[in-house]
Amino acid sequence: MNAFGLIFADSYDVALDKLTEHRTLAAVPFGGRYRVIDFTLSNLVNAGIRNIGIITTQKYDSLMNHVRAGAEWDLNRKSTGLTFLPPYSSEDIRKSVYENRLEAMQSNMAYIRNMREEYVIMTSCNYIGNVDFDKMLEYHISTGADITGLYTKNPHNKAGDIPSTEFIVEKDQTVSDVRITSDPAEGACIAANAYILKRQDLLEVLEHTIRENKTSFRRHVLIEAIERGYKFMAYEAPETLLFLDTISSYMKSNFELLDRGMRDELFYNEYRPVITKVKDSAPTKYASEAKATNSIIADGAVIEGEVRNSIIFRGVRVKKGAVVENCVLMQDVLVGEAARLNYAVLDKNVTINDCRMLSGYITHPFYVGHGENI
Amino acid sequence: MINKKQCVAMLLAGGQGSRLAPLTTHIAKPAVPFGARYRIIDFSLSNCVNSGIDTVGVLTQYQPLELNDYLGNGNAWDMNLRYGGLHVLPPYQAAHGADWFKGTANAIYQNINFIKRYDPDYVLILSGDHIYKMDYSIMLQEHIDNNADATIAVIDVPIEEASRFGIMSTNADGRITEFAEKPKHPKSTQASMGVYIFSTDALIKYLEEDEQDPDSQNDFGKNIIPNMLADGCRLFAYLFTGYWRDVGTLSSFWSTNMDAIGDLPDLWLNDPDWRIYYRHSFNPPQYVGQTAQVTHSICGDGNAIHGKVMSSVIFNNILIEPEAEIHDSIIMSGTMVGKGAKIEYAIVDRGAVIGEGAVIGGVKESNELTVIGKDVVISAGAVVQPGEVVTENR
Repeated sequence: MNAFGLIFADSYDVALDKLTEHRTLAAVPFGGRYRVIDFTLSNLVNAGIRNIGIITTQKYDSLMNHVRAGAEWDLNRKSTGLTFLPPYSSEDIRKSVYENRLEAMQSNMAYIRNMREEYVIMTSCNYIGNVDFDKMLEYHISTGADITGLYTKNPHNKAGDIPSTEFIVEKDQTVSDVRITSDPAEGACIAANAYILKRQDLLEVLEHTIRENKTSFRRHVLIEAIERGYKFMAYEAPETLLFLDTISSYMKSNFELLDRGMRDELFYNEYRPVITKVKDSAPTKYASEAKATNSIIADGAVIEGEVRNSIIFRGVRVKKGAVVENCVLMQDVLVGEAARLNYAVLDKNVTINDCRMLSGYITHPFYVGHGENI
Repeated sequence: MINKKQCVAMLLAGGQGSRLAPLTTHIAKPAVPFGARYRIIDFSLSNCVNSGIDTVGVLTQYQPLELNDYLGNGNAWDMNLRYGGLHVLPPYQAAHGADWFKGTANAIYQNINFIKRYDPDYVLILSGDHIYKMDYSIMLQEHIDNNADATIAVIDVPIEEASRFGIMSTNADGRITEFAEKPKHPKSTQASMGVYIFSTDALIKYLEEDEQDPDSQNDFGKNIIPNMLADGCRLFAYLFTGYWRDVGTLSSFWSTNMDAIGDLPDLWLNDPDWRIYYRHSFNPPQYVGQTAQVTHSICGDGNAIHGKVMSSVIFNNILIEPEAEIHDSIIMSGTMVGKGAKIEYAIVDRGAVIGEGAVIGGVKESNELTVIGKDVVISAGAVVQPGEVVTENR
């Protein structure tokens, strides 16, 4: 694979509010035993990519803890591998907090210059999917594109009130415009913020935008490319993309894993496994009174009460008589005896004391922040 | 800069485990899956890690391919170290010829250069086929305090079972006065666990002497320990009171697995202070379906459970179809249990397929454990009688 990967770990187009209050988007837990970055990294590694840079500006502590040297993805190699790209890493621009993707790349030109691969695959972490980037690169090369953007016409759980990037795609699959839309029309081509182009072209664009003091990837890179007559191709993801725009869409995307077809597509692709950091947790334990149906239940969880239609992360304990319904319970949540939860998203280490009742609605989940005690 | 190793462990993992057949037909006993996500050897290796021992020689011989793959470079146990760490030690060819390991003592003798290279003060000898959680550092401290040449870990067994073990008699200080291998009339109930700590010099001396003796069976229990006792060496018993099981037979393998389930299990796998490390396969979390009923059980990853599971140990990547029922059983990775199939008091080895409506085994009370071998396909509606061991498709 003659490409390296560039991951934007930060949350530029989402409104996950408290979920990303203490962590970057890439580190948001997902699907029982993963974090968002697991899908992104696995997609790139499964496409044969051996060099990956993760651009991150703030709150990257939990991300670094999770990914470390990338050993789980076989990225801890001698000559290639994973590079964290925090702020202040080079001389090109001196900005502590990048406000957008373009600034993030401008600040990390040294890394991009040092790579030897011909192409770069860059992607954000605002979607979950088992995306075959190898195929996308093949498409990029075979169409003779200068730049190729990933999109989907069926963005699962995209929130209408969050601005989306939309491609205007012509019959020949070229992109004629890139717009920001709220509430996009049915069948609109929603960009997933993943692009492929030549490394050399990217460097030239970055140098040019630095000279001209330009800061918008969409306006000053994508639209300018179209205006100058470059070949900008749209690549429609054959895979399902689950979006994470708001806490409600985050919850709904988690719940999609309760569908067998979705699980098969995401997890049971023989050559494209989703890899995550390992924890050496004990097996999932079901007590004599346990009742668990239609749920994802991760290892290390102890189920003594009732769980329905929920996503249960590692190390969660649901005590006797508790009823957990339509919930996402992150790592090490403790649900006390006879507590009742419905449409709640509980962040890591939350404690729900005995007999407490919390209820949200699918559009407005009850969110409880990291480590809180109710 | 290298760090001197105080204690190096030698883990005997070459045994065939023939009484565990057919589980051990294709793999060494220490590599047999255990407890929904582990292998038997994980317990000894995790004990080492948790006791602060980071250098382990694993002596392999029988069917080592899968065991070697599993051990890899030891990274799963944090033993991929620059100096020390996990080493797989197979039988090898040397200038004076080549030999299989003749007995437990000979296996260590053949790897004496491994011990000499690290030059530890103490050598811990372990078997790779026991399930237990033990802090070796406490035993080592006793060994040091006693100024012992060797310390043997013992557990208290019921007197009627004592004839199956190596039995120690000790004086008031815990010093061993007599050792009898599987005695007909046991004089004590202190049974050897197969866990020894030797002071390195004494170990090397007795291993070298033992090797010169053509009549020796080159076994720790039969030769080394009796010889040391005869010479008046300082041998001490270390009484271990925690959980320890020998999983030498199918029925003890079954019951030890069952010890890991329940609300207050004898074998507590969730212990945050004594983690059991293992090599992971990257499976998604498990899914329990609309029609699932899972109670009093432990389950691994990647499963899709739609049927009823009670009092069972379920490994990874298993599909249990609706209306299937599993009671008191061990279901290993990659198996498929068809719609309406019923499995009771059975061990189903990896990759087996149980057809729709098939009936495997019978009630636990019958005391007849049923075993379905690796990759065996049981066709729809077939019946496997209690106590059968099935290794061919039917």
